[in-house]
Amino acid sequence: MSLRLWFIALSHTALGQFMQNSKWGFAIVETFHLIALAVLGGCILLLDLRLLGFVLKDESAVALSRGLHRLFLGSLIVMVFSGIAMVSEEALKCFASPAFRWKMALLAVAVGFYFTVHRRALKSVAKGTATLQSRTAAAVSLILWLGVGVAGRAIGLI
Amino acid sequence: MKTHIGLVRNAALAATLALTAAIPALAHHSFAAEFDGSKPVRLVGKITRVEWTNPHSYFYVDVTNDKGVSTNWGCEGAGPGALSRRGWKKGDLKIGDTIVVDGYRAKDGSNLVDARRVTFPDGRTVYGGTPGDGGPGDNGTPEGAPNAAGPAKH
Amino acid sequence: MPLLQQLCQLLYDSRIGTLIRESDYAFSIIESVHVLGITLLIGTIALLDLRMLGLTLRHLSVTRIARAVLPLTWTGFVVMFVSGFLLFWAEAAKNYTNPAFRTKLVLLLLVGLNPLVFHTTIYRRVHEWELLTISPWRARVAAIASLTLWTGIIAAGRAIAYF
Repeated sequence: MSLRLWFIALSHTALGQFMQNSKWGFAIVETFHLIALAVLGGCILLLDLRLLGFVLKDESAVALSRGLHRLFLGSLIVMVFSGIAMVSEEALKCFASPAFRWKMALLAVAVGFYFTVHRRALKSVAKGTATLQSRTAAAVSLILWLGVGVAGRAIGLI
Repeated sequence: MKTHIGLVRNAALAATLALTAAIPALAHHSFAAEFDGSKPVRLVGKITRVEWTNPHSYFYVDVTNDKGVSTNWGCEGAGPGALSRRGWKKGDLKIGDTIVVDGYRAKDGSNLVDARRVTFPDGRTVYGGTPGDGGPGDNGTPEGAPNAAGPAKH
Repeated sequence: MPLLQQLCQLLYDSRIGTLIRESDYAFSIIESVHVLGITLLIGTIALLDLRMLGLTLRHLSVTRIARAVLPLTWTGFVVMFVSGFLLFWAEAAKNYTNPAFRTKLVLLLLVGLNPLVFHTTIYRRVHEWELLTISPWRARVAAIASLTLWTGIIAAGRAIAYF
């Protein structure tokens, strides 16, 4: 089934119909999306600032990442589910929107980066240091996640 | 110039000489949540006020019905950035200009329409929807379907 | 018109307010900064709150996390205050009558009083409890108040467009 048909199907689900006809549905779901955005952003910010050597330099980066990983995952899951609900409200608009496509592409790369290069960088940086590797990983991570956020904003504006 | 209102509930319309100064800035993310796709409206009227504002623009037109009764209607459009990308500049609409607005009436019955297509005095038309937004006139393109005042198709 | 409403109308009618409100890009950019700034302001303080509730980074002392997080939170506050004030400047007259906006202001006041109380009371003795995985009940109350109020502020902010 073509991708476009999946979007149409989503708009026809009970979720989609509810979201399209509810006055407050979108606002409520988006509020959850924003709360999760704050938490996810907070986790990424702290991890990347550690990789840059700006905060918690004397703490183990690995322990930090292990401590924040569940919070990151939980907020990511909330964002995905709330995101699907919001897409179900305007599925074809999202499908046609270049901002939405950019957001999904950047999201995929950002998440993939988090579980691979980013994780390795956290493991590689010993206490009290930041390396070229860790700083680069942090910069890329921050740019990717910022891009996801900006693209998300653009969906509603263009 | 022929002026007419293509609307089902004329009585309700005539009964409300809308004091539309306080039309709420309904932020609709779903056309269907705020506006009624089964209530197409074609307004032909003189502009009384233009609010070229973020997050939504508003312009108000005085529409005179067959009985000579004048009603003020509010038309909600996109923000200035989105409008200018559609070739619509701030000064394009002047007080007293006669325009045609094809839109859909607010579900709460107020004299507010979601302006899907606007025809300027010089004949130029601007389509106000977004590709895929599901509102009437949406055919997945930025220009919209040729006749925006038709029923929504999904 | 009440004095406060007159002031709001003055701001609204001013050149800068009008410029932002009628802008092609400025309003959208300022609003985007404000929305994404939630991360810097709320996302960071949330980590401290969650630590005191024993839900994250339990291996680090409360003060260690506070030291790392608070400069970020304050930076976020500046970003949100400036962007928020500019948005208010553009919409002041409309905001005055908006119940969601008024609610948001009240909640912001409360969320500002909360750490004031917290820092002058239980936090004074933080060295007694900073290593505990779960902080004393007074600190937990402050943490829950913080998380609840910030959630309400986000919700109220979102609701502004609906009134």
